[in-house]
Amino acid sequence: MPELRYIRAINQALADALEADPSVILLGEDVSAAGGAFGATRGLRDRFGAERVIDTPISEAALAGAAVGAALSGLKPVLEIMFMDFTTLVMDALVNQAAKARFMFGGQRSVPLVVRTPHGGGLSAGPQHSQCLEAWFAHVPGLKVVCPADPASAYGLLRAAIADPDPVIVVENKALYATKAEVPEVLEPLPIGRAAVIRPGRDLTLVSYGGAVHTCTAAAGILANEGIEAEVVDLRSLQPWDEATVMNSLSRTHRLIVVHEAVEAFGIGAEIAARMADIGFDELDAPILRIGAPFMPVPFSKALERKYLPSADAVVQAARKVLA
Amino acid sequence: MTSSHQAALGENQMLKLYADMLLIRRVEERLGRLFADGEVPGFIHLSIGQEAVPVGVMSALTADDTIASTHRGHGHAIAKGMPLDGFFAELLGCEQGLCRGRGGSMHVADLSIGMLGANGIVGAGLSIALGSALAHQRLRRNAIAVAFFGDGALGEGLLHECLNLASLWRLPLLFVCENNGWSEFSPSAGQITFRLADLVPAYGIPYVASDGNDVVAVSTTAADIVAHVRREGPAVLECFTTRMRGHYEGDAQKYRDPAELEALAARDPIRIAKEYLRRLDVGEERLQDLLTDIDCRIEAAVAAARAGSAPDFETAKADTYTRVDMH
Amino acid sequence: MTSEPIRSITMPKLGLTMTEGLLASWRVKPGDQVRAGDVLFVVETEKIATDFEAPSDGKIVSLEVAEGSIVPVGTTVATWIENVMPLDRAASSRGSFSNATRVIATPLARRLARQANIDLKAIRGSGPRGRIKARDVEIAAAQQAVLRAEADASSPAASAAPLSQQQRRPASLSETTVARRMTEAKRNIPHFYVIADADVTRLLKLREELNAAKGEIRLSLTHFVVAAVVKTLKRFPDINRVWDANEIVTLDAIDIGLAIMTERGLVAPVLRNADRLGLDGIACACEELVTRARRGRLTEEDLAGGAISVSNVGMFGAAQLIPIINPGQAAILGVAAVRPVFRPDDRGQPSLRQELSLALSCDHRVLDGVSATRFLNAVAEILAQPLTLLRR
Repeated sequence: MPELRYIRAINQALADALEADPSVILLGEDVSAAGGAFGATRGLRDRFGAERVIDTPISEAALAGAAVGAALSGLKPVLEIMFMDFTTLVMDALVNQAAKARFMFGGQRSVPLVVRTPHGGGLSAGPQHSQCLEAWFAHVPGLKVVCPADPASAYGLLRAAIADPDPVIVVENKALYATKAEVPEVLEPLPIGRAAVIRPGRDLTLVSYGGAVHTCTAAAGILANEGIEAEVVDLRSLQPWDEATVMNSLSRTHRLIVVHEAVEAFGIGAEIAARMADIGFDELDAPILRIGAPFMPVPFSKALERKYLPSADAVVQAARKVLA
Repeated sequence: MTSSHQAALGENQMLKLYADMLLIRRVEERLGRLFADGEVPGFIHLSIGQEAVPVGVMSALTADDTIASTHRGHGHAIAKGMPLDGFFAELLGCEQGLCRGRGGSMHVADLSIGMLGANGIVGAGLSIALGSALAHQRLRRNAIAVAFFGDGALGEGLLHECLNLASLWRLPLLFVCENNGWSEFSPSAGQITFRLADLVPAYGIPYVASDGNDVVAVSTTAADIVAHVRREGPAVLECFTTRMRGHYEGDAQKYRDPAELEALAARDPIRIAKEYLRRLDVGEERLQDLLTDIDCRIEAAVAAARAGSAPDFETAKADTYTRVDMH
Repeated sequence: MTSEPIRSITMPKLGLTMTEGLLASWRVKPGDQVRAGDVLFVVETEKIATDFEAPSDGKIVSLEVAEGSIVPVGTTVATWIENVMPLDRAASSRGSFSNATRVIATPLARRLARQANIDLKAIRGSGPRGRIKARDVEIAAAQQAVLRAEADASSPAASAAPLSQQQRRPASLSETTVARRMTEAKRNIPHFYVIADADVTRLLKLREELNAAKGEIRLSLTHFVVAAVVKTLKRFPDINRVWDANEIVTLDAIDIGLAIMTERGLVAPVLRNADRLGLDGIACACEELVTRARRGRLTEEDLAGGAISVSNVGMFGAAQLIPIINPGQAAILGVAAVRPVFRPDDRGQPSLRQELSLALSCDHRVLDGVSATRFLNAVAEILAQPLTLLRR
């Protein structure tokens, strides 16, 4: 199987989407001439023209609102917000406009826009350039949220997001941009709302998304040496999320830990834990645990950030706890 | 300027403008009574006194042009051609409403006629219209977008972002400011340090102003500036008008000078339009017939709305998303 | 409840080579409501009688095959409707806080206890804060089944029938099977016996240490004995052989039989390739056999093979056990209770030791006194110096 870098997978998805549908346009700061701050849109202007790959001034609020208006008027805009931390500036457009339009206009039309934005730390980018805010958007009815953990799903979920009639936030991970992995010969869109069991196991279930999926597989490797087989579930979609797959896993392992890089308190894990404690109550042989970042801003110094990000060791310790 | 404009408008045109304004006026008055009687839930923001602006601007637009409106959007909606039945049913919260009872007064929309919705967030319509103009441009349509906003939005940073972007990309976008001098309960003069006339040139796009209560002035100016937008790029039209009622129905306007309110009657756009018609020798009977016809249509729409059914909860909930591909 | 269709219950395939089975007796009749785990009928093959349990709750509709019939595997023997009215399960300790101490148990453990009709108060939890976990309930359920079987066997007054009727009754099918096999063993196999005492003082300490670790399987004396037998067999491969129709067959695999007491009597399934398992592996494999044996889930394959079995009755306090060899094998090691004794140390002073008695019953057609004694002494030595198990 061929290998592909996560960032190239995104580039390919954008190219294929632009090719397949003339109503797709890309907008964002430095996406056109410079090919994107992280290189996600490299080469796309040359291939598809500056009319469809549009450089913008730093006006997130107006751009996000424009994406709504454009989506209501026949385009499929894909807006890049350079760092997820900056989504604070697009809140009205996404929450009050994009998320509501289909519903509050009585189903007259949909808002087929995509916001692509990288989250996550590990690069000493500091408190305002490292946050994981996906829980905010997952909490807004009318928005969809996906978070790929590997190149194949980065391609698949982005293609699906662009084709989706509803507003989708595609949360990428900047620390994963450079990572490579095997991908199928032919890359396909992936269904939004479907999780994947990327490592089967019988002793406990680790549910995760994004960069933390790799932390979980590392932890599973450590646990395997002790004869403990952990099942790792990559959610891929956060809104909607695949309850059935998680429930199925829980009914086999009877122990659940949710792991994410985002702050633990009030995060995605809280929803999953609560829901599973509800529908999966009789399957539980141990309390549901969550591993997330501590309740503090993301620190800058390497020594601090190392302690901040959830580690494989933390997951292993939690696994021992639920098996005790 | 007035007489030449007057000469340019024949009787039929003038009658249409007058009828459109009268329709808005009567609809708003009827709504005010329905609201007072408790039949309209929530709150409503009436555009009584400002009818000349939407009617004048819309007279220069085609069916393909799109508009984004404000929280005070009934005038825009009706002038753009929103059906009365669907409009009243929406305000009464029925399934038969244009938005199936889910939006109400502040979110009335009819995308099939290019009305991209009234909006409960001050200034939000600016960027939505911007996006619509972007779509018109990139999809090479011969259409423009119009962003209605009030002087209350002059303090929003979004206005600056939109002016900048529209100018940068030379979008087919017309900004229409309905300046009634009031930001909710405060005079805008005490809030805003600049005049739009001074601000707009900084973006390198044209600014024109009009008497917002004279529908002939508005429609003539609009015709010119819309032609410019179609040919060249974005522009700003500021219409100075009068908000004759409170910020919302129920607002007693204790903060307004009673003398000012009295003086408003003289500036009533309906009255001014009637003057034009008189000069064109349109008889009182004709106008009376028009009024009766309008009131009948309104009553029919109200009756239909009152007979409407409650929306179904599960159906509404399911429309949160267009499609959820879950197993 | 939605009404379910009527389904078939078929003659199960209990062994690789099984093609037909004898429906020995019905335990239900048409119209009976059954719970998951209730015995519906007993199947007999040449070697064992197996209970067939209901896989879920249901109601028996009809019986298609008469008792005593031999039918091919897969034949419909009965029909039933699954998942009809849920029966009112007798609540365990739920809701009764008369002890003033709350039972802490996981939701899964509670569900399993409900289903198995076990009182949570009677279970000791192995989880944090003494939390009862699913495994604790499973073990308790298995133990309860054994105790019930023993209670039934030892006190005829347990049944409601009057005494005179209990003085004479026809033997059950498994009783008949055991009787037949043991008689055959005693009649055909020339038994001789070698006895030795093993000093297990060190072994007990080692076992205690190992079992202190959490999250690991509990090691029993039997596990250690099996390990010692395995190691010794590797050293003396000539012991690993059986008599078969005038031929002496040396086995190439080291399989060890394990005598297990069940509700229905003694069974001796075989632990395969025990030399490839470490102590933990032996412990796991033994537990697995015990669980299956007690649930009546042993197959024909389980009972075949091996040259030697281990039978531990130490938990019942016997001073010595002289067991009967299982037909098909050549030896069986009886293990008795640990007892404290005083032995003179090298200065002649009394030293308190823990000892148990080993009795090796041997088939004189393949084993002689010298080799048997050497073998047994080697086993006893390993038990006395358990750390030698670490070596190959």
